[in-house]
Amino acid sequence: MLEPTVAMQFSKYSLLAGLMLVVLAAVCYTLVLALGKTAHQAPVLAHAGRATARGGVATAERPQPPVSSAQPPALAQYGTYFTWLSLAFLTACLFFLTIGTGHGPFSNQYEFSISFAWGMVLAYVYFEHKYKVRTIGLMVLPIAAAFLGYALSMGATANPLVPALQNPPLLITHIVVAVLAYGAFSISFAAAALYLIQPEGGKLATAGLPKPALLDEMGYRAVIIGFPLMTLTVVIGGLWAEKAWGTYWSWDPKETASLITWLIYGAYLHARVARGWVGRRSAWLLVLGFVSVLFCFFGNLFFGGLHSYA
Amino acid sequence: MSQDVQTRPAESDTRESVDGLDGVGGVAGNRSVGASDVLDRLWRFFISMRTGLMLILTLGVFSFIGTMLAQVPVGIVGDPAAYEAWVTSMKPKYGGWTPVLDKLGLFSVFTTIWFKGITVLLATSVLACSVNRAPRLWKLAFHPRTRMGETFFTHAPLRANILVNTGTDTAADDVRTVLKSHRFRTVTDPGTDEEDLYADRFRWGPFGTVIAHLSFVVILLGFFLSATTGFKNTQFTAPVGQTVQVGEGTGLSVVAKSFTEAYYPDGQPKDYASDLVLYKDGVQVDRKTIRVNHPLSFDGVSFYQSFFGVAASMKVTDAAGKTLYRESAPLSWESKDKKHAIGQFHLKANGQNVYVVAPASGKVDPEIKAGQVQLEVHENGKDQPLATEVVSQGKPTTINGLTYTFERTRQFTGLTVARDPGANFVWVGSTLLVIGLFLVFFFPHRRMWVRIRKTSSGSEILCASTMKRDVAFEPQFRQLITDIQLAGTPSSPTDTRLAGSPSNETQKVGQNDA
Repeated sequence: MLEPTVAMQFSKYSLLAGLMLVVLAAVCYTLVLALGKTAHQAPVLAHAGRATARGGVATAERPQPPVSSAQPPALAQYGTYFTWLSLAFLTACLFFLTIGTGHGPFSNQYEFSISFAWGMVLAYVYFEHKYKVRTIGLMVLPIAAAFLGYALSMGATANPLVPALQNPPLLITHIVVAVLAYGAFSISFAAAALYLIQPEGGKLATAGLPKPALLDEMGYRAVIIGFPLMTLTVVIGGLWAEKAWGTYWSWDPKETASLITWLIYGAYLHARVARGWVGRRSAWLLVLGFVSVLFCFFGNLFFGGLHSYA
Repeated sequence: MSQDVQTRPAESDTRESVDGLDGVGGVAGNRSVGASDVLDRLWRFFISMRTGLMLILTLGVFSFIGTMLAQVPVGIVGDPAAYEAWVTSMKPKYGGWTPVLDKLGLFSVFTTIWFKGITVLLATSVLACSVNRAPRLWKLAFHPRTRMGETFFTHAPLRANILVNTGTDTAADDVRTVLKSHRFRTVTDPGTDEEDLYADRFRWGPFGTVIAHLSFVVILLGFFLSATTGFKNTQFTAPVGQTVQVGEGTGLSVVAKSFTEAYYPDGQPKDYASDLVLYKDGVQVDRKTIRVNHPLSFDGVSFYQSFFGVAASMKVTDAAGKTLYRESAPLSWESKDKKHAIGQFHLKANGQNVYVVAPASGKVDPEIKAGQVQLEVHENGKDQPLATEVVSQGKPTTINGLTYTFERTRQFTGLTVARDPGANFVWVGSTLLVIGLFLVFFFPHRRMWVRIRKTSSGSEILCASTMKRDVAFEPQFRQLITDIQLAGTPSSPTDTRLAGSPSNETQKVGQNDA
């Protein structure tokens, strides 16, 4: 077994490597876009639906399997490799952090920031693999980099666990599920932001941005992964709260913030099939949802409460 | 042989929906108008998707206010004086808005009539939507439409046209076999000249929405029961060695045999543990060392480790030497300046309250030295003390004719004791919610209609499907078409090529993004 102090060192080096790789990947994607080439494998889109007056939108534009003529530029391919590497280093960082502190890397803002960024990069790698749309990386990767930089600026402290946190199974499931949910939500935010910066009709699609319909689809796909996970986070949190504090719900600021987040994404799922809410308004809800996620993450810095440790 | 997989805008497929989230707002017209216009309007209001959406967002706004504004601590809600003092203490923060915010109830958002009202409206809306939707889902799952019109086969978002050499009966059997191998259920439409088939998979998936929505109501019911039934005492104190009644009609009493606290080298708390013995009607029924995260539960009543502190063991005797009080008073309150810990006990004999004051942990008070406490004797309900006296440990002191002895200090453990029948509703509701969401999102109802008709050289197989919000179905649809085609054409090199790359056809109708 590694010495804890050595593990903490390894963890820090991995964090630095992970951060640099995330930045490098973001730079690659920016260059690809700036040089006027499509940053994603130009998907062959098939119109299979359109907005109908009756409130249902059957958007089904999506990429086909890549065709030989649409290979991504080499630079974009390097960007992809960098994100994979950064995911590996961030995973190593969390692993060493766990060894160094003796508990899951979720007990303070430093550890949780890295976990959050890890969740974002993981979600990005998954969605890039699935949709071949690298452009969302331009949104997600800088946010992940900001969280890693924030962690770096705080520095690691191997805090021991206060009694309320001493419940390894619940600590791990509660936070891992939350991190995965947050990661998925960051994708839906990126998709919504790219959707919103395009004028109606998606004229910028020719400038290398994905089609609005594809972004709409991605945002939704990310939410249907994130929403059940967010639900699970709140439920597990309630179970734990009852065990540790004697009540499953106490309107603690972090609890309330996660309820708000849950409500916003719940609203989004309904908005997507409600008259007059399809498209831009739904996308705005995704932006609002991610603001709420950030509020969840940072809120207790301002408000204290039962979650004051993380 | 030819294959023609197309993806084009659907024009005739907006009436029936694939999953339960579809167009609920659009089907209000199912209910007959006329019987009562008001009721009908109300019904339409509650089943409208927009109503639900607005209620959810409003609830979000109120919750947001609840996190942004300071909220009255639960403990002082029932105490007008303490409440007043708390509101006054908010003046520096909110200035002239303080009374306005107070009037609007925004210092206790989660208990205001607004918040509760919106929650009830939302629950009503959820129930109405579920009632409105369930029959339709039932019909879609168990009495599906097994035959579609000709336009459906020419306009559905997913469709294919396959020519095979075989006769219609064989072709139909092949189609059924292929669909079954893909775990689709097939239903043959009765009574047409042409062979019409309906096939689907995950027909129970859409019921996930009903489960998820109803479970939300079950959770709200749990919250309601938690607030109205059972009990919760967050300030339960048990001085070590002293029997304390739980009350609330439980017949339970508890003794903390010991309390231990442990700290990390840096001073952070590591562990609090109380060795509790539980009695029911005087008979021991359980014993457990409880700590944070490890409560003791008996008969629906749970004991949670919550806080701890020091108690003053007091003895009070009257002039005749009769003992009036001999227990430990937990010094569980803190003075406003945080310099003193305060405890209190009640003398039944004369109705007086006695406050026991000691310097708070780590604080020094020149008036109250180590090994001393200050006693304040109050007439019940009066602010002005009858007498104030500093007494030393082990030295009997007479105050107002009674003899007070501060025997020693001992630790007390602070517990939350609760019985919460609502919690089980919350857990059942939560479990159903997660299951429901899982069903909705990961088991979308996949449906397909097939029409087989005779041609001069064999059969023509028309396949068509909807795929609203289920993009993942398209590859499977393509595979189905490929398999159906292969089943109809045992050997033909040309066909194999076509079947192997069905997306070639699609690219013609699709738009290139570059």
